[in-house]
Amino acid sequence: MNAVHASPTQEVCSVQVGDTLYGIPIAHVLEILGKPATQPVPLAPYFVGGLVHYRGEVLTAVSLRRLLRMDPAKAPEDVLVFENPDGLFGLFVDSVGEVLHVSAAEHEPNPATLEARRQALFNGAWKLKDRLLVSLDPERLDPMRLASAFPA
Amino acid sequence: MDDLTREFLLESQEGLDRMERCLTDLETHPGDTELLAEIFRSVHTIKGTTGFLGFSRLEALSHAGENLLGLLREGQLAVHPDIISGLLSLMDALRAILRSIETTGAEGESGQEDRAMIARLEKLQRPGAIALAEPALAAAIAAPAPPGRTKHPRIGSKRPPARRAAPGSARFSPPPAEPGEAGAPPEVELPPPSAASESRSAPGQAAANPERPRTETAPPVSETQAAVTSGATDSTLRVDVELLNRMMNLVGELVLARNQILQATSADAGFAILGRRLDMVTADLRESVMKARMQPVSHVFSRFPRLVRDLALSLDKRVRLEMEGKETELDKSLLEAIRDPLTHSIRNAIDHGIEMPQVRIASGKPAEGLVRLRACHEGSHVIVEVHDDGAGMNIEKIRRKAIERQLVPPQRAEQMSEREILQLIFLPGFSTAEAVTSVSGRGVGMDVVRTNVEKIGGKVEVDSRPGQGTVLRLRIPLTLAIIPALIVHSRGQNFAVPQASLTELVHLSLGETDTRIEWLENTALYRLRGRLLPLIFLDRLLQQSPPERTAPCDIAILNADGRRFGLVVDGLADPEEIVVKPLAAVLRQIGFYAGATILGNGEMALILNPGAIAQNAGFGLSAETDDPAHDPKRAGHHDFLLVQTGPTQAALPLETVVRIERIPRSRIERAGARPVLRFEGMLLPLDDAASELLDAGDDPEAQTTVVVCRDGNRQVGMTVSQVLDVTGGRELEEAGTGAIANGITLLHERVTSIVSLSAIPSIECVPDARVIDYNLPSEVQP
Repeated sequence: MNAVHASPTQEVCSVQVGDTLYGIPIAHVLEILGKPATQPVPLAPYFVGGLVHYRGEVLTAVSLRRLLRMDPAKAPEDVLVFENPDGLFGLFVDSVGEVLHVSAAEHEPNPATLEARRQALFNGAWKLKDRLLVSLDPERLDPMRLASAFPA
Repeated sequence: MDDLTREFLLESQEGLDRMERCLTDLETHPGDTELLAEIFRSVHTIKGTTGFLGFSRLEALSHAGENLLGLLREGQLAVHPDIISGLLSLMDALRAILRSIETTGAEGESGQEDRAMIARLEKLQRPGAIALAEPALAAAIAAPAPPGRTKHPRIGSKRPPARRAAPGSARFSPPPAEPGEAGAPPEVELPPPSAASESRSAPGQAAANPERPRTETAPPVSETQAAVTSGATDSTLRVDVELLNRMMNLVGELVLARNQILQATSADAGFAILGRRLDMVTADLRESVMKARMQPVSHVFSRFPRLVRDLALSLDKRVRLEMEGKETELDKSLLEAIRDPLTHSIRNAIDHGIEMPQVRIASGKPAEGLVRLRACHEGSHVIVEVHDDGAGMNIEKIRRKAIERQLVPPQRAEQMSEREILQLIFLPGFSTAEAVTSVSGRGVGMDVVRTNVEKIGGKVEVDSRPGQGTVLRLRIPLTLAIIPALIVHSRGQNFAVPQASLTELVHLSLGETDTRIEWLENTALYRLRGRLLPLIFLDRLLQQSPPERTAPCDIAILNADGRRFGLVVDGLADPEEIVVKPLAAVLRQIGFYAGATILGNGEMALILNPGAIAQNAGFGLSAETDDPAHDPKRAGHHDFLLVQTGPTQAALPLETVVRIERIPRSRIERAGARPVLRFEGMLLPLDDAASELLDAGDDPEAQTTVVVCRDGNRQVGMTVSQVLDVTGGRELEEAGTGAIANGITLLHERVTSIVSLSAIPSIECVPDARVIDYNLPSEVQP
């Protein structure tokens, strides 16, 4: 893991949500669940996409679409599994793409013009050759943190 | 922290637990030299090991204690409450240091407190010190018979050589004579330590343990003794609770996988046998792992003698503690969870329940109050009762206090039944104590007891009689991890309802949903056997859309801590044993869910929390549960099934009723003159009380209602025209004699005769296959 941080390039897992491509450092991703069965939770905070079954545990999964106030996905979504101090949680995304190598030199902070909610969620972006790869920090997607940071 | 220190902490804590038990016992048996020896051993072990590990504070304190204990053991001092108190506080000090080592790794600075403690213990060693004690206290314990020079040789304690080299030996202790210094031969006369205490010697620790020669490696001094102790060492093993938790989780997974396999392969006959075998093995495995997590409640109970003693002393009351069912076992995590609620309850019993000695004598009770702690199994629950023979709760006082503290509006309080009033003590902020004592009266307590017990899926019940005392009953599930539940559907989603709160199910067909559900303003109600039951629509509660109105539905009648209500759901699936999976904190906050689970078919379901749902709806305790018919504890009350037999009504004791069946007449056969019914492979004698069969005519398809009852070892059937109700009846006393009238009861204020089942003549109940052989009436007739 240290090697990843020490090297100028970093491996990120690319995920697609709507028209945007997001990147999450691969070291944070515990596992990718391909279109798992999900269970909605009535009365849950709006950003909770539902429950997913992961190795005997029932994970709460955050929906990036709901968090960003986008329309619900039309097709079943993939789930990334992360670990936080309290346990595991998931993140619903439209689809998981390939692993990309990005370098720190390509990274730029969030533009000042970005809407406040996205300012708080995004961690800048990498400039790929033909498009932008928005950097996501799983720590900011922790459901407990979201509940206090973005109530309703 | 290294392994050696960790082992030392565990061992010392166990030693102190043992010491605490022995000390409180010692107070009642002051002359018991074996108890003294046991206490001495515990302190001595700590002292020996601390020196080795370099914990000088611990060593200094335990050394002072050891000196005092040495004098007691040799009979130079007599056991006295002051000495016990001194030793108990020494123990607390030792515990505090152990805790500090556990959290910070160091024992902290030695200071004024240590010196004071050592001074106190030294003072107690002077025989004159005791003369200053209050005479009342001295009278409270029996005068100890001077044991004389104890026949026990001093405890085996050739100190480990490492100890001398250890830094920081006893700095504050001017010992008059250090017992156990003389290199006496290893102790052989002491009672063998319990298996639990001996199972702990790890190899690393053994080197530092002065009693090492008595456990394994040294040549046995006493043959039998050595055999006993080493046997115990070999057959037990200390296991990390974490590992057990993990095993429990894995077994839970296995149960899920088993459920899925059983469902997937139910059609295939070859798999069915394999599946059944898997089922059996899984069940066995689950039971074993659960057993491994079980601990006797004595682990928690053992602290209470001390608690009761200290409390009674500080309140100037006299209290005796009786404990029953200490060997009852409970899941380790649950055991931990009931420790605080139980402590609270005992405090309350002594502080609020037991009266002052003079008050007790004045009301004709023995001066010494009794607190009885009882644990027992009841089905899949463990019941722990705290019973005191004190003044009982004053219903009017509770009512007044509740109004005063604005916990309930006055009008409502006036209408509340006794049972409801008693429940008020569980409200946050309730306390009837006239004065705030150091023990209780600060308004926390019973609500904490209730919350903690409910958190683990348990229940708290209270029963109190003025002048006779109070019983607090904690009902704890045996295990947390796997619970039986009924799966229900709402808007295509699965939910699990714990069976523990489910009392019955009602199905409403398409037409009935409009007619049977009645509305009082916005409150939906259902008439259950004549009583109105509030309803909650699960889809509306959870704001699931779109709410449909006209569809068949099911009502799950739930009883959540005395709150009865009906939960309206779209449909029912099978009952299942579910493995409770915790929910993330954000979802726990919703409150209606107790967890989630994965069903046999792989789908997930949220587990509903009926208590929280009832509370959210603001339901009070239903008056229905207050009905004497539903309180089996009241003497002279029984539940009956009220039936119509022809023109008259009759009552069947409810506990004898096995089934109520609608049966086509064609299934009823005759053995001689007697009608008989083939029921579950048995032949039932039928009592045609309602003359249903005679009036039947010839239509074989016509149906008749048969109530199947248990009468001793046999089952009998009874035809009835109609089943009317389940209701409570009271025994009737004959005027003048006061004798209980047999065969009749008072139901709905009408005298009703009870059907005498034994009067139904028996036929030999034979297995189904033999009916064919005996179908000639004359042969069946006895």
